[in-house]
Amino acid sequence: MFRIEADRARFREIVRGRIREDLRRYLSTGELIGRAGEHAVSIPLPQIELPRFVFGQNPKGGGKGEGKPGDSADGEVGEGEGAGSAGENPGAHILEVEVELEELAEMLGEELQLPNIQPRGVKELDTDGGRYNRVRNSGPNSLRLFRRTFKNALKRTIASGLYDPLDPRIVPIREDFRYRMKKSSPQPDSSAVVFHMMDVSGSMGREQKEVVRIKAFWIDTWLRSQYKNLDVVYIVHDAVARIVDQHTFFHLRESGGTKISSAYELCLKQIMERYRPEDYNIYPFHYSDGDNWSARDTELCISTLRDEILPRVNQFCYGQVKSAHGSGQFKKDLDGALSAVETLVTTAVNDRADVPEAIRSFLGQGR
Amino acid sequence: MKLKSDLPAALKYQAVIIESAARDAGLDFFEVIFELLEAKDVNGVAAYGGFPVRYPSWRFGMEFERLEKGRRWGLSKIYELVINNDPTYAYLVRSNSLLEQKLVMAHVYGHADFFKNNLWFAPTDRKMLDTMGNHSTRCRRYIDAFGQEGVERFSDLCLSLETLVDPYLPLREHSQPAEDRSIYTPPSERARRSLEALSMSPLAEPAEEVDLRPMVGKLPTYDILGFLEENAPLEAWQRDILHIVRAEAYYFVPQRMTKIMNEGWASFWHSRLLTGGLLEPEEILDFADCHSGATMTAPGQLNPYKLGIELFRHAEELGEDIFQLRRVHNDVSFIHKLVDKEFSARHLSRPSAPRDTDGPEGPAPAPDWRENKGQLLHQLSWGGYPQIELVGVDTEGEGELKLVHHHDGRDLQMGRARETLLNLQALWKAPVHLLTLLEKQGRCLVARGDEVSVTETEEAEALCSDEKPKQPPASSAKRA
Repeated sequence: MFRIEADRARFREIVRGRIREDLRRYLSTGELIGRAGEHAVSIPLPQIELPRFVFGQNPKGGGKGEGKPGDSADGEVGEGEGAGSAGENPGAHILEVEVELEELAEMLGEELQLPNIQPRGVKELDTDGGRYNRVRNSGPNSLRLFRRTFKNALKRTIASGLYDPLDPRIVPIREDFRYRMKKSSPQPDSSAVVFHMMDVSGSMGREQKEVVRIKAFWIDTWLRSQYKNLDVVYIVHDAVARIVDQHTFFHLRESGGTKISSAYELCLKQIMERYRPEDYNIYPFHYSDGDNWSARDTELCISTLRDEILPRVNQFCYGQVKSAHGSGQFKKDLDGALSAVETLVTTAVNDRADVPEAIRSFLGQGR
Repeated sequence: MKLKSDLPAALKYQAVIIESAARDAGLDFFEVIFELLEAKDVNGVAAYGGFPVRYPSWRFGMEFERLEKGRRWGLSKIYELVINNDPTYAYLVRSNSLLEQKLVMAHVYGHADFFKNNLWFAPTDRKMLDTMGNHSTRCRRYIDAFGQEGVERFSDLCLSLETLVDPYLPLREHSQPAEDRSIYTPPSERARRSLEALSMSPLAEPAEEVDLRPMVGKLPTYDILGFLEENAPLEAWQRDILHIVRAEAYYFVPQRMTKIMNEGWASFWHSRLLTGGLLEPEEILDFADCHSGATMTAPGQLNPYKLGIELFRHAEELGEDIFQLRRVHNDVSFIHKLVDKEFSARHLSRPSAPRDTDGPEGPAPAPDWRENKGQLLHQLSWGGYPQIELVGVDTEGEGELKLVHHHDGRDLQMGRARETLLNLQALWKAPVHLLTLLEKQGRCLVARGDEVSVTETEEAEALCSDEKPKQPPASSAKRA
């Protein structure tokens, strides 16, 4: 169903206002009412209706009861019937709007103008480079299909009555030419791992965690749209680091000191043992308020990053969330020491409004 | 997607049995070819109006999206899809049970018989599968040459006018001697046109200037698309797109005009054939479940399957020849002939006011059955669209088109009417007038440039009135 998918893609582009702006004014946001478990859910169903001559809604003013002589035998009076376009009330039960994750990721990608991720290294390319098993109307001469082209020209010549069997001259014109066309395109390698590392020391409050949560969600969503298999590893740290599950990651509130190097070391250990760079695309993200225990630990972090982690990962992202107590020093230190390294991205987030910008700088590189 | 897949043996066996039962019962059809497809692919085909290939358009994508969302959320499901073609193609959904497949196949033979024998289908293109493919190819070439956006914009313009056809024209033309037919351009002419269109490079001269003088002999006409195809100042490729849109619109017209009969006839036969000995005993219950699901009618709604099957059963009870009925009628004439007081009471009663609030005067009196019938006929007449006629060209000296809406008690939706007029004007490249009634007052809408102006007019009241709607108002047109 290749063709209908192309039509669908075009429709979606229009709905998002990327092409054919002129159609936007015919766009209505319809919905289907579906059911998930016991709840009614609204499934968004945008529709574009080209204008046509259609009937409108006449003002009620009594049911067109002109005359109608003679049928009084039943004694039924022609009541002005109650214009009954009955019951399409969706009901007040709608709990949530369902958006498909795939769709979300696409929208995110478009909204933030994220490039699709470039696979790393030659080896990551889909080795099946596609086969020339299709035909199209334009292409380079080296791919020209002589027989098809000739046949088309012959058909056209005969159809137009110019064919002379005694002097069978066939001159192809532009529309007759056919060319081979390649099917399929290389795919990014299908495995990736994301490390979400978060500072849960005392200074990271509820709001800071919320910002991290939003960011992590969108990042996951985007990366999932790019990779068939995505592993996510959650690491929290204060003075020590440990791997936790997703729920804990977002709900844990610890207190105490901060040793960022503990998280980086744990991340590195995971990379070496479980997610070898030869097999995985690796995306570590680290979120903190920028306070580290000591300048010495920061030195350790920088050297671990520079010498061990960065060479092995697609991109390392550090997102600094502003907190009441944080000094924000860590970002300055990273930027100062590693400014030349392209695969390190650092951002500062003051509040939720900055999240899209941060995501753009994290994912906008297409690595 | 490829056609001509092989059915699994079990289904093939059923198809043979059902086909011979259908022929024994008197049904007569072109060869029927079943294709077994995944549910998603059936939706794709359904979005294309039953065809595996159509020209590229976001509209099909939109329909596909709607069907797919419905399917994935379990809200709707397509059982059966059959297209009017020789041979007749029908699609079966792979995930259906064997019983469902049997029901669908029997249903399909009913449709196939209807397509072949109903008079209104006689003028349709029986090689539409090929024609659609051909349309698609031509469209794609224009896209290659002139860009997707331009071609799409133009075809959207044409599609906006898609309803401006004369549903009775094909049959009228069909019953005339061949040399007088004009709706179907002869193949040689078609070949010439498309060649012409193709040999134009994007930079070539625009098409030769079309004579804008009114074609008085051909007016008035409801076939506004046909008029435009012949007379609008278009480039060759645009004219071909308009031709494609018009040909496809006419192909689908009989399906709109006979929806109730067609579904009724197919349901009548799937029910009769299957319960006439084709079901295994253990299938009866599932059959009943499935059948009643298809013929279920929510209050206040019209289910063509239900209404249609009841009409044919009613006709049989009255001793009518149902084969003859299916041959000569369309929905309007069929209902006009068959619906009587008893039938109306049983099947057309509209939902009355909620019963639980019985006032002191008891339940509200039901509306008169003739009114119900009349309302239904009203709703179905002219294919369900406003009846709009082209009555004059250049009567005011601006090269303008003059349209009349034959008002039948229902006003036009004005916002849409304005937009549609603007589209028509963009295609015709001269002003377009439309006379109509709005709340019983005469109105003249004039699309000129980017604007539509509305003025009151007495003329409209005379032209549009409902009194003599069946006769084209020839006299007023001649005035032009």
